[in-house]
Amino acid sequence: MRSSHAFRSFAFAYGTAFAVLYVVALKLDLALFTVYPSLGVVLLGTHHSRDVAGPSMAFLAPAMYWYGWTATAALGALMFGFIAALLPERWTRRIWPGWLWVVPALAMIACVYLTLPWFRL
Amino acid sequence: MVAVALLGAITHQTLATWAPAQARPGSFFGRFRAVASAPYANAIVVLYAVSALLGGIVYLYFRIDIGPDLERAGHWQILGLFDIKEHFISIGLALLPAYWVCWRQPRAGELARTRATLTSILAFIVWWGFLIGHVVNNIRGFGA
Repeated sequence: MRSSHAFRSFAFAYGTAFAVLYVVALKLDLALFTVYPSLGVVLLGTHHSRDVAGPSMAFLAPAMYWYGWTATAALGALMFGFIAALLPERWTRRIWPGWLWVVPALAMIACVYLTLPWFRL
Repeated sequence: MVAVALLGAITHQTLATWAPAQARPGSFFGRFRAVASAPYANAIVVLYAVSALLGGIVYLYFRIDIGPDLERAGHWQILGLFDIKEHFISIGLALLPAYWVCWRQPRAGELARTRATLTSILAFIVWWGFLIGHVVNNIRGFGA
Protein backbone atom coordinates (compact mmCIF):
# COMPACT_ATOMS: atom_id res chain seq x y z
CA MET A 1 0.00 0.00 0.00
CA ARG A 2 2.81 2.36 0.92
CA SER A 3 4.70 1.64 -2.31
CA SER A 4 1.49 2.18 -4.31
CA HIS A 5 0.98 5.57 -2.68
CA ALA A 6 4.64 6.48 -3.18
CA PHE A 7 4.49 5.66 -6.89
CA ARG A 8 1.27 7.63 -7.30
CA SER A 9 2.87 10.66 -5.63
CA PHE A 10 5.98 10.24 -7.75
CA ALA A 11 4.00 9.92 -11.00
CA PHE A 12 1.79 12.94 -10.29
CA ALA A 13 4.68 15.15 -9.20
CA TYR A 14 6.87 14.02 -12.10
CA GLY A 15 4.27 14.75 -14.78
CA THR A 16 3.41 18.15 -13.35
CA ALA A 17 6.99 19.22 -12.64
CA PHE A 18 8.18 18.07 -16.05
CA ALA A 19 5.62 20.28 -17.81
CA VAL A 20 6.76 23.35 -15.87
CA LEU A 21 10.46 22.60 -16.20
CA TYR A 22 10.16 21.89 -19.91
CA VAL A 23 8.72 25.36 -20.51
CA VAL A 24 11.50 26.86 -18.36
CA ALA A 25 14.15 24.89 -20.29
CA LEU A 26 12.61 25.99 -23.60
CA LYS A 27 12.31 29.65 -22.61
CA LEU A 28 15.80 29.90 -21.11
CA ASP A 29 17.32 27.54 -23.69
CA LEU A 30 18.65 25.21 -21.02
CA ALA A 31 19.52 22.06 -22.92
CA LEU A 32 21.44 19.49 -20.91
CA PHE A 33 23.26 18.60 -24.11
CA THR A 34 23.32 19.65 -27.78
CA VAL A 35 23.23 17.09 -30.58
CA TYR A 36 24.89 17.66 -33.97
CA PRO A 37 23.44 14.77 -35.98
CA SER A 38 25.38 15.44 -39.18
CA LEU A 39 28.66 15.36 -37.26
CA GLY A 40 27.66 12.62 -34.85
CA VAL A 41 28.67 14.85 -31.96
CA VAL A 42 26.98 15.42 -28.61
CA LEU A 43 28.19 18.36 -26.52
CA LEU A 44 27.29 18.92 -22.89
CA GLY A 45 25.21 22.08 -22.41
CA THR A 46 23.61 24.44 -24.91
CA HIS A 47 25.76 25.34 -27.91
CA HIS A 48 24.79 27.51 -30.82
CA SER A 49 26.60 27.18 -34.13
CA ARG A 50 26.67 30.94 -34.50
CA ASP A 51 28.66 31.22 -31.29
CA VAL A 52 31.73 29.79 -32.95
CA ALA A 53 31.35 30.24 -36.69
CA GLY A 54 29.44 32.00 -39.45
CA PRO A 55 25.63 31.82 -39.72
CA SER A 56 25.92 29.33 -42.59
CA MET A 57 27.21 26.77 -40.09
CA ALA A 58 23.65 26.36 -38.89
CA PHE A 59 22.82 24.83 -42.26
CA LEU A 60 25.99 22.76 -42.52
CA ALA A 61 25.86 21.40 -38.97
CA PRO A 62 22.31 21.74 -37.66
CA ALA A 63 22.11 21.60 -33.89
CA MET A 64 19.32 19.84 -32.02
CA TYR A 65 18.21 20.99 -28.60
CA TRP A 66 14.97 19.04 -28.12
CA TYR A 67 16.73 16.04 -26.60
CA GLY A 68 18.62 18.35 -24.26
CA TRP A 69 15.53 20.29 -23.17
CA THR A 70 13.72 17.02 -22.50
CA ALA A 71 16.66 15.67 -20.51
CA THR A 72 16.89 18.89 -18.46
CA ALA A 73 13.19 18.76 -17.60
CA ALA A 74 13.29 15.00 -16.91
CA LEU A 75 16.23 15.36 -14.53
CA GLY A 76 14.58 18.18 -12.60
CA ALA A 77 11.21 16.41 -12.54
CA LEU A 78 12.84 13.25 -11.20
CA MET A 79 13.99 15.21 -8.16
CA PHE A 80 10.48 16.58 -7.56
CA GLY A 81 9.07 13.10 -8.06
CA PHE A 82 11.39 11.49 -5.53
CA ILE A 83 10.69 14.22 -2.97
CA ALA A 84 6.92 13.78 -3.47
CA ALA A 85 7.26 10.01 -3.04
CA LEU A 86 8.78 10.58 0.40
CA LEU A 87 5.99 12.84 1.61
CA PRO A 88 3.36 11.34 3.93
CA GLU A 89 0.03 10.39 2.35
CA ARG A 90 -1.99 12.82 4.47
CA TRP A 91 -0.08 15.70 2.86
CA THR A 92 -0.27 14.59 -0.76
CA ARG A 93 -3.97 13.63 -0.54
CA ARG A 94 -4.80 17.29 0.08
CA ILE A 95 -3.40 18.36 -3.28
CA TRP A 96 -6.05 18.82 -5.95
CA PRO A 97 -5.49 16.08 -8.61
CA GLY A 98 -6.69 18.48 -11.30
CA TRP A 99 -3.25 20.12 -11.29
CA LEU A 100 -2.13 17.02 -13.13
CA TRP A 101 -3.90 18.16 -16.30
CA VAL A 102 -4.18 21.91 -15.69
CA VAL A 103 -0.41 22.42 -15.47
CA PRO A 104 0.48 20.37 -18.60
CA ALA A 105 -2.34 22.05 -20.53
CA LEU A 106 -0.97 25.48 -19.58
CA ALA A 107 2.55 24.29 -20.43
CA MET A 108 1.36 23.25 -23.89
CA ILE A 109 -0.15 26.69 -24.43
CA ALA A 110 3.14 28.25 -23.26
CA CYS A 111 5.05 26.05 -25.73
CA VAL A 112 2.82 27.29 -28.56
CA TYR A 113 3.40 30.89 -27.43
CA LEU A 114 7.19 30.35 -27.35
CA THR A 115 7.06 28.87 -30.86
CA LEU A 116 5.12 31.83 -32.33
CA PRO A 117 8.28 33.55 -33.67
CA TRP A 118 8.48 30.77 -36.30
CA PHE A 119 5.18 31.99 -37.71
CA ARG A 120 6.36 35.59 -38.05
CA LEU A 121 9.33 34.79 -40.28
CA MET B 1 2.20 0.64 -37.58
CA VAL B 2 2.96 1.49 -33.95
CA ALA B 3 1.63 5.02 -34.44
CA VAL B 4 -1.56 3.79 -36.13
CA ALA B 5 -2.18 1.26 -33.34
CA LEU B 6 -1.63 4.02 -30.77
CA LEU B 7 -3.99 6.33 -32.64
CA GLY B 8 -6.73 3.70 -32.68
CA ALA B 9 -6.32 2.74 -29.02
CA ILE B 10 -6.22 6.28 -27.62
CA THR B 11 -9.11 7.46 -29.80
CA HIS B 12 -11.26 4.54 -28.69
CA GLN B 13 -10.41 5.06 -25.03
CA THR B 14 -11.09 8.80 -25.19
CA LEU B 15 -14.48 8.37 -26.87
CA ALA B 16 -15.43 5.61 -24.43
CA THR B 17 -14.42 7.82 -21.49
CA TRP B 18 -16.52 10.80 -22.59
CA ALA B 19 -19.44 8.85 -24.04
CA PRO B 20 -22.68 9.54 -22.16
CA ALA B 21 -23.27 6.97 -19.40
CA GLN B 22 -26.93 6.64 -20.41
CA ALA B 23 -26.16 6.01 -24.06
CA ARG B 24 -28.81 3.93 -25.79
CA PRO B 25 -27.70 0.26 -26.05
CA GLY B 26 -26.85 -0.57 -29.65
CA SER B 27 -26.13 3.08 -30.51
CA PHE B 28 -22.69 4.25 -31.60
CA PHE B 29 -21.80 5.59 -28.13
CA GLY B 30 -23.54 2.68 -26.46
CA ARG B 31 -21.15 0.28 -28.19
CA PHE B 32 -18.17 2.41 -27.16
CA ARG B 33 -19.38 2.37 -23.59
CA ALA B 34 -19.81 -1.41 -23.65
CA VAL B 35 -16.11 -2.03 -24.38
CA ALA B 36 -13.91 -1.87 -21.29
CA SER B 37 -11.45 0.98 -21.86
CA ALA B 38 -9.18 0.37 -18.86
CA PRO B 39 -7.24 -2.53 -20.46
CA TYR B 40 -6.19 -0.14 -23.24
CA ALA B 41 -4.05 1.83 -20.78
CA ASN B 42 -1.12 -0.59 -20.67
CA ALA B 43 -1.04 -0.88 -24.46
CA ILE B 44 -1.24 2.90 -24.84
CA VAL B 45 1.67 3.46 -22.44
CA VAL B 46 3.85 0.97 -24.31
CA LEU B 47 2.80 2.19 -27.78
CA TYR B 48 3.33 5.85 -26.85
CA ALA B 49 6.79 5.12 -25.39
CA VAL B 50 7.83 3.07 -28.44
CA SER B 51 6.44 5.70 -30.84
CA ALA B 52 8.32 8.46 -29.01
CA LEU B 53 11.53 6.42 -29.08
CA LEU B 54 11.23 5.63 -32.80
CA GLY B 55 10.24 9.24 -33.49
CA GLY B 56 13.29 10.42 -31.57
CA ILE B 57 15.53 8.28 -33.78
CA VAL B 58 13.83 9.33 -37.03
CA TYR B 59 14.06 12.97 -35.92
CA LEU B 60 17.87 12.80 -36.25
CA TYR B 61 17.52 11.98 -39.96
CA PHE B 62 14.78 14.57 -40.38
CA ARG B 63 17.09 17.28 -39.03
CA ILE B 64 19.84 16.35 -41.49
CA ASP B 65 17.89 15.45 -44.64
CA ILE B 66 14.62 17.40 -44.52
CA GLY B 67 14.97 20.25 -41.99
CA PRO B 68 17.60 22.26 -43.91
CA ASP B 69 15.60 21.92 -47.14
CA LEU B 70 12.49 23.28 -45.43
CA GLU B 71 14.53 26.16 -44.00
CA ARG B 72 15.99 27.04 -47.40
CA ALA B 73 12.51 26.87 -48.94
CA GLY B 74 11.16 29.19 -46.21
CA HIS B 75 8.60 26.77 -44.78
CA TRP B 76 8.91 28.40 -41.34
CA GLN B 77 5.30 27.75 -40.36
CA ILE B 78 5.69 24.04 -41.00
CA LEU B 79 8.89 24.00 -38.93
CA GLY B 80 7.04 25.84 -36.18
CA LEU B 81 4.22 23.30 -36.20
CA PHE B 82 6.82 20.53 -36.07
CA ASP B 83 8.50 22.20 -33.08
CA ILE B 84 5.15 22.32 -31.29
CA LYS B 85 4.76 18.60 -31.99
CA GLU B 86 8.13 17.90 -30.34
CA HIS B 87 7.17 19.89 -27.25
CA PHE B 88 3.79 18.20 -26.93
CA ILE B 89 5.29 14.74 -27.30
CA SER B 90 7.80 15.38 -24.49
CA ILE B 91 5.06 16.64 -22.16
CA GLY B 92 2.88 13.65 -23.06
CA LEU B 93 5.72 11.23 -22.42
CA ALA B 94 6.18 12.61 -18.90
CA LEU B 95 2.44 12.22 -18.23
CA LEU B 96 2.45 8.49 -18.96
CA PRO B 97 3.22 7.31 -15.38
CA ALA B 98 0.39 9.44 -13.97
CA TYR B 99 -1.95 8.34 -16.75
CA TRP B 100 -1.14 4.71 -15.95
CA VAL B 101 -1.79 5.26 -12.22
CA CYS B 102 -5.15 6.89 -12.98
CA TRP B 103 -6.28 3.95 -15.12
CA ARG B 104 -5.00 1.30 -12.68
CA GLN B 105 -7.77 2.10 -10.23
CA PRO B 106 -10.95 0.25 -11.19
CA ARG B 107 -13.18 2.98 -9.80
CA ALA B 108 -11.40 6.26 -10.27
CA GLY B 109 -13.59 8.18 -7.79
CA GLU B 110 -11.97 11.55 -7.21
CA LEU B 111 -9.64 10.86 -10.13
CA ALA B 112 -12.43 10.31 -12.68
CA ARG B 113 -12.30 13.82 -14.12
CA THR B 114 -8.49 13.89 -14.03
CA ARG B 115 -8.32 10.53 -15.78
CA ALA B 116 -10.71 11.59 -18.52
CA THR B 117 -8.96 14.91 -19.12
CA LEU B 118 -5.50 13.35 -19.06
CA THR B 119 -6.64 10.78 -21.63
CA SER B 120 -8.01 13.57 -23.81
CA ILE B 121 -4.75 15.53 -23.59
CA LEU B 122 -2.80 12.45 -24.65
CA ALA B 123 -5.26 11.83 -27.50
CA PHE B 124 -4.82 15.43 -28.66
CA ILE B 125 -1.02 15.04 -28.57
CA VAL B 126 -1.13 11.77 -30.51
CA TRP B 127 -3.46 13.21 -33.17
CA TRP B 128 -1.38 16.40 -33.45
CA GLY B 129 1.79 14.35 -33.89
CA PHE B 130 0.15 12.12 -36.47
CA LEU B 131 -1.30 14.96 -38.54
CA ILE B 132 1.73 17.26 -38.43
CA GLY B 133 4.00 14.30 -39.14
CA HIS B 134 1.99 13.62 -42.28
CA VAL B 135 1.99 17.26 -43.39
CA VAL B 136 5.77 17.47 -43.01
CA ASN B 137 6.20 14.13 -44.73
CA ASN B 138 4.12 15.30 -47.70
CA ILE B 139 5.37 18.86 -47.95
CA ARG B 140 8.26 18.01 -50.23
CA GLY B 141 5.64 17.22 -52.86
CA PHE B 142 4.03 20.68 -52.62
CA GLY B 143 4.57 22.80 -55.71
CA ALA B 144 6.32 19.97 -57.51
